[in-house]
Amino acid sequence: MDIRIFRIHSKLIELVWPKEISHDILHEQQQVKRFLEMEYAEGIREIRMGFNTLSLKLRIEISEEDCRDILEEIYQLPKILGTFASKIWKVPVCYCTEFGKDLEKLAQIHQLSIDEIIKIHSETVYTLHFYGFLPGFMYLGGLDEKLFTPRKRSPERSMPVGTVAIGGKQTGIYPSESPGGWHAIGQCPVRLFDISKEIPVIPAVGDKIKFEPTTREVFVEIKQLSHQGLYIWHHD
Amino acid sequence: MIKTPAYIHFVQPGLLSSIQDLGRFGMAVYGVPYSGVMDRFSMTQANYLLQNQFYDSVLEMGGPGAKMVFEMPTRVVFAGADADIYLNDKQVKAGKILDINEDDTIHVRKFRKGQWLYMGIQGGFESEIVAESRSWYSGITPQSRIEKSDSVCYLSEERFYPALGSHAKMNLNWFKHGEIKVFKGPEWDQLPKLTQNRIMKKSFTISTLVNRMAYQLEETIENEVEPILTAPVYPGTVQLTPNGNIIILMRDAQVTGGYPRILHVENNSLNILSQKRPGDKISFSI
Repeated sequence: MDIRIFRIHSKLIELVWPKEISHDILHEQQQVKRFLEMEYAEGIREIRMGFNTLSLKLRIEISEEDCRDILEEIYQLPKILGTFASKIWKVPVCYCTEFGKDLEKLAQIHQLSIDEIIKIHSETVYTLHFYGFLPGFMYLGGLDEKLFTPRKRSPERSMPVGTVAIGGKQTGIYPSESPGGWHAIGQCPVRLFDISKEIPVIPAVGDKIKFEPTTREVFVEIKQLSHQGLYIWHHD
Repeated sequence: MIKTPAYIHFVQPGLLSSIQDLGRFGMAVYGVPYSGVMDRFSMTQANYLLQNQFYDSVLEMGGPGAKMVFEMPTRVVFAGADADIYLNDKQVKAGKILDINEDDTIHVRKFRKGQWLYMGIQGGFESEIVAESRSWYSGITPQSRIEKSDSVCYLSEERFYPALGSHAKMNLNWFKHGEIKVFKGPEWDQLPKLTQNRIMKKSFTISTLVNRMAYQLEETIENEVEPILTAPVYPGTVQLTPNGNIIILMRDAQVTGGYPRILHVENNSLNILSQKRPGDKISFSI
């Protein structure tokens, strides 16, 4: 493990890993998070994740020295604190030029056919690192570098709910209508965020996401089911 | 004690008016902002004067114009921005508990100082609780701001209140000074010493980009700090963009961001900062 600790103030600290998006770091983050939640449950108000950070909001005040002690403890953790079961969720996507307004442009940029883009995008298994940006927005790791595309210079005023898009080295689904600077390649008919549920999302951090191309007809069916709360998520 | 649900009818909504409490916690891991009042100090004052619970929800207004009619008796109090407030055409002061009768009208006119005005009400508002909070936020609560001819529920309580001999003298100058206390953010040390000095010595101006999500400053700071991998951010996080803009995140801020987090505003200073208006000057102190 290669972790630094940074104390912003007495109740807000951050653990920082090297600047990369990787499974190993995610696994270590999960281990450390589990350890801290077990060991310091009363002292911690909230633990949040970034690609290479764990941010700890505390109930109690801690000093620089406490921080060093915690880091010491983390370094002495046994290598494997248990495995993290992860599901592979199948997420339907209708890839077409109607929903994927930027599919043609993307094909041009990368000198690929639209079918090749869909194939590359839907055959990759992505890892859910954390939620952020919008309620229910999944930060996914694993986009094939053939599809890396710089974000648009000026964001679109509105990306429809469910838009599947590529931006920089990432791909994701807009869980609600929002402005956005990513390139739209399709749309997902499944509702990704439901505030009326105690846990408003389905995939958990560490789970995998695989996009399943669907036809327009199936898309409409699933959208209806999901709207009525009858859609059942599938996983391996 | 009999409490009867009653409504405030908004003849005019005013600017950026919404119901807020201390915020929604525990949902940030799913991407939901904390929300909550921009200025906690003023909310706390209003609730304290009414002998409410400290967490009771209040009406937050981001500018003049709100005109509201009360269905049934209650008590309200104003705190926060220094504004011209009228109860049935008679001007009233912040910090004074106002006895409201059936069909009384309150009209908020000019804002003289400050950005956010709060109206506390006996027992708080009865708007919907979503994920343990009444704070309005787009996509989470049914509404994100009060629109013309909206109604908001409160509980009217018939009760004898002894006349108050005097009322709290509100100090409306508490947010006057421009010194904003900050801590070093996770990426502060990546800035060259010269840039760090410039940021700490310079006086900054609040730009017109001011809303519940963030306040942007007018002056820019040249920098070559690399963007970071998306990481958690909080109300109070100070970001430095590649074009040198300084953005201070406020209560409705997204939960993650990719710009370097150079500073972090201390809690009380965040209340002071929230009351700054476009054109006001601030400086940072560590």
